[in-house]
Amino acid sequence: MSNKSSSTSANDNPQSGQGRPLPKKESDLSKNVVKFYESKQYKKGLKNADTILKRFPNHGETLCMKGLIVNAMATTSVVSAPKKDGGGGDREGDKKKEAVELVKKGLMMDMRSHVCWHVYGLLHRSSQDYAEAIKAYKQALRIDSENLQILRDMGLLQIQMRDLHGFSNTRLRILTLRPSSKVHWLTYALSVHVNGDAKGAVGVLDSYMATLDKEDSVEFQRNFESSELALYKNQVLSETSGDDNDNNEDGLGGIRTALAHLDEIHELVVDQTGWLMARLSYQLQLGRFESAKETIFSLLERGSTEDHKVHGAYMCALLKCDPIECKEVLDTMRGTKTLATLRPLKEEERAILLRAYGSASAAATDDADDDATNGSSSIPKEGLAAIFPKSAAIKRIYLTLLPTSSDEFKSAIDEYCRRQIVKGVPSLGSDLSSLYLMEKQQKQPQQSSTTMNGNSTTSATTTTTRYVLAKDPIDIQQHGIYRLVVELVDSYISSLSSANTFPNNDTEKHPPSTLLWAWYLRSTLHEQAGQYAQGISLIDKCIEHTPTACDFYELKSRLLELGGDIQRAADTVDAGRDLDHQDRYINNQTTKVMLRAGREEDARKCISLFTRHEGNPEQNLYDMQCTWYELELADCWRKKGDLGRSLRKYMAVIKHYQDFHEDQFDFHMYCIRKVTLRSYCKLLKFEDDLWGLPHYGRAAEEVIKIHLHLVDNPDKSKEDEEPDYSKMTPAERKKAKNIARKKKKKAAVVAGSSGGSNNGEKGGSSTDKDAEKNNGNKKKAKPHVIDEDPEGQELLVLDHLEEAKKFAAILVRHAPKRISAWALQYDVSIRRGKMLLALQALFKMKSIHHNAHQLFSRIVDFSLKLSSRTTEHAASNQVISTEFPKLMKCKSLMEFVQLAVEDAKADALSSLPMRIAVAKAMLSANAGSASDASSLILDSKLNARCVTVETCRESLKFMESLGKEGAENRERMKMLIMAKFPFAKDC
Amino acid sequence: MAKKHDENLCKFAYWNGFAVGAICTRVEANPDCQGRNRIYIMTLGVLAAYRNHGIGSKLVASVLDYFEAEKDGKLSTVDEIMLHVQTSNSDAMEFYGTKFGFEKGELVENYYKRIDPPHCYILRKKLR
Repeated sequence: MSNKSSSTSANDNPQSGQGRPLPKKESDLSKNVVKFYESKQYKKGLKNADTILKRFPNHGETLCMKGLIVNAMATTSVVSAPKKDGGGGDREGDKKKEAVELVKKGLMMDMRSHVCWHVYGLLHRSSQDYAEAIKAYKQALRIDSENLQILRDMGLLQIQMRDLHGFSNTRLRILTLRPSSKVHWLTYALSVHVNGDAKGAVGVLDSYMATLDKEDSVEFQRNFESSELALYKNQVLSETSGDDNDNNEDGLGGIRTALAHLDEIHELVVDQTGWLMARLSYQLQLGRFESAKETIFSLLERGSTEDHKVHGAYMCALLKCDPIECKEVLDTMRGTKTLATLRPLKEEERAILLRAYGSASAAATDDADDDATNGSSSIPKEGLAAIFPKSAAIKRIYLTLLPTSSDEFKSAIDEYCRRQIVKGVPSLGSDLSSLYLMEKQQKQPQQSSTTMNGNSTTSATTTTTRYVLAKDPIDIQQHGIYRLVVELVDSYISSLSSANTFPNNDTEKHPPSTLLWAWYLRSTLHEQAGQYAQGISLIDKCIEHTPTACDFYELKSRLLELGGDIQRAADTVDAGRDLDHQDRYINNQTTKVMLRAGREEDARKCISLFTRHEGNPEQNLYDMQCTWYELELADCWRKKGDLGRSLRKYMAVIKHYQDFHEDQFDFHMYCIRKVTLRSYCKLLKFEDDLWGLPHYGRAAEEVIKIHLHLVDNPDKSKEDEEPDYSKMTPAERKKAKNIARKKKKKAAVVAGSSGGSNNGEKGGSSTDKDAEKNNGNKKKAKPHVIDEDPEGQELLVLDHLEEAKKFAAILVRHAPKRISAWALQYDVSIRRGKMLLALQALFKMKSIHHNAHQLFSRIVDFSLKLSSRTTEHAASNQVISTEFPKLMKCKSLMEFVQLAVEDAKADALSSLPMRIAVAKAMLSANAGSASDASSLILDSKLNARCVTVETCRESLKFMESLGKEGAENRERMKMLIMAKFPFAKDC
Repeated sequence: MAKKHDENLCKFAYWNGFAVGAICTRVEANPDCQGRNRIYIMTLGVLAAYRNHGIGSKLVASVLDYFEAEKDGKLSTVDEIMLHVQTSNSDAMEFYGTKFGFEKGELVENYYKRIDPPHCYILRKKLR
């Protein structure tokens, strides 16, 4: 093909970056290479590149392009087998290595080519090493400072890495080069905005608009893009501090400007609801309650009657709440929460709201007299219930407004329940449970201090009263509304079962399903109050009555699980699943309960019914990022002591979150092209908070715990049921170690055949299972078999403390209000010998929940460690000796523990975990005898908070560790547990 | 000839979304009459709690309606509908007799193997 020119080519060594371009023919080929790469026709690209290289084997840019293509081919072929699984074999790994070598060689050949540097950057980017990629791009730009493609790529990386300043600079350069493009203007405006300069961003947007020709431009016509852009600008305006010449003492100038701007753009906006919501928010913050009400009615009439946020805003407007409270309602209320469930209402407030939400006549007459100012406004005089008779939310909110001790409340809730029971609404029980509100004093300032204006609010230490939901069975049992509902439902049941009517002279005969749902509701009420046996006997009646309803099996399963018999729970929900194999929900529930029952094989078969048929279901679940399944499976392995597999699954979840983070790459360009800038800002915020999400937290916390467990137990084959070895008393630890030693012996025997030391605990049967599993899914292979899966073992031989530290740091940074995160931060720091960090974690915990049991046990631990500590910097000694006593109320350890004992005794409901923690501390601080300690737990009579099967097991375990001294109390404890959890056979 | 699993011949009854009753019938050859067929009610059941609400009647009626609709079509070879009923089950005989005009036919001894009494009657209704 290229014979003709071969004679001249030998020593030419063209290098584009050094001013020695390729001959015409090769140069064309080279363009083709790029074209083929971009259109993903890798094979053709490769062929062309090879043709060039045949003549000019050292041509840098071609080498680089070839490397890029090889890399792309390697990456696409492992798409189905994620990298963390070992890249699906060595071949892809080799290819990647080859790609890196090609690119490096190319770069060496032609260091002055921007193409080579660009490719080098792209390669780093594809292996997610963004910092290196940015460096390479910068090199490329040094050579070709006006290369748009490179600038664009670099901008993407910078926003991804949140190098906001750099991002803004890059976008400015692009804009300067190509000021005619809309996208470049928008991106630059956005880059200014994310750097916190709202005013500057508005300026950029204005400059852009000024470049347009008013008459023709689509920007001035009503369409989606112009609407989004206008609303985005409005949002940015609200974040500015307002015009300088404006009267702006209150820092609300930006809001005022934004509110005025809304009127200007009204004609452009297509997202009317968004427009109204923005308007509402501004009006409330400015205290313009009358006009806010009008906005609210526009929203309600547009169909937002079921949006509780709108109702929350309406209440704020009616009660003329201060801006801080308005903001709290608008920003933090979720689900069915409104102002009425945020804090207790004053009598006069309640009256206003009841009038607003009630039915027609009363409201109209009352208003006519005393509220003449309303005459001109468009706000209807009737209560909402009269205007929107079909709205369920309004009826539901009405319940939360009535004084709970009143007769009206009783009859309202009576009617509410009756209607739902007749309809057969399974969720009625949990719906009602959100009415069990308890008042709680909060010492902290109303958390608004951080909000938009930057003006921290004055009242730093005022106590505010807030509602919290009663969640513990003990609290629910005693709750007035719970009791009222129970009373009502009991009366329904007796009346329905004798006469098929509701009580109190109701004459309407009801179908059999009404009684059924009354039973069902009563059973869920039993569940809420922790009365599992009664709940089960009722749900059994339901099942006998209508054995074809899978809701009943699900509830029964839940009752059994809470009552301690997880195996029967799994069987029961499985029976429910069997009624309808097309019901994905019940299938997933079944899977979950099976995993909790330690039946991972059954669970896998179960969930496989809904995964894609080809291939390995677990791989499919991984690809679908099925987090709940992986978390449950990981818990299952952990309980079985198979830490390698367990870690593997937790890490899979962590990988998903990394992928979520990675996924935002796709949006940086897309969102701006589509002008969905408001959503894009939300996305950036979401990604910033990603690591604070609960599922990530669950996975990361377990990963930390396992690593800490392995730190405390460096002998890898040691296995016990719970990794939180560290919390055991010395006696327990000794016992557990004995067991572990026995297991190890047993494992050694088994290991002869299987080669694995980790699965020894489960003996022969497990090896069979594993062998079977490994047949089908080598790629997703489990970490336990040493020879076959080095990757999995890697998780177990990592630097555990380092890993734990890494994740703890992420958690405390992104979930700083989660007490468990700080508890783990403490656990990690104390093992690293970082006393100051540990102390900081303790203080953080205290600020979240000052008498949490996790905190108490760690304070005791810290105090003990402090006394046995060897050396430390003088400075940190100083800090510790002045600060730490504050945590101990300036008492000695013994006194501190004794104080806690008294506190625990004083409150009959003080939680079981707290009692356990205090009891343990009594022993370790020599503040009481073993029998005193066990009595403290026993004295709860299990009528305390946080009494679950789990905490009961833990207290039994503790009592066992006391040896003889605890024996008597232990027996009594067992009796108590059996009475409370009749299904917990293993206690 | 009707399909083997004709959904018009087997039906569930739903109450508020839950299956509370079912009927299952089939078209089979009539041994007494060469080349002719009959509908045989294999089972009819309604959960105890939902009886006396007309569910069973609706189920039987739906099969009879189906016959009426198809008597010159798919079911042109069918002449009668019949079932077995345990001799002690007077409720059922009452149900089929008064509501649908089934007639009590011959006694079949030891028809049931696991329930007592083991004998049954044949109930049948001529359809044309």
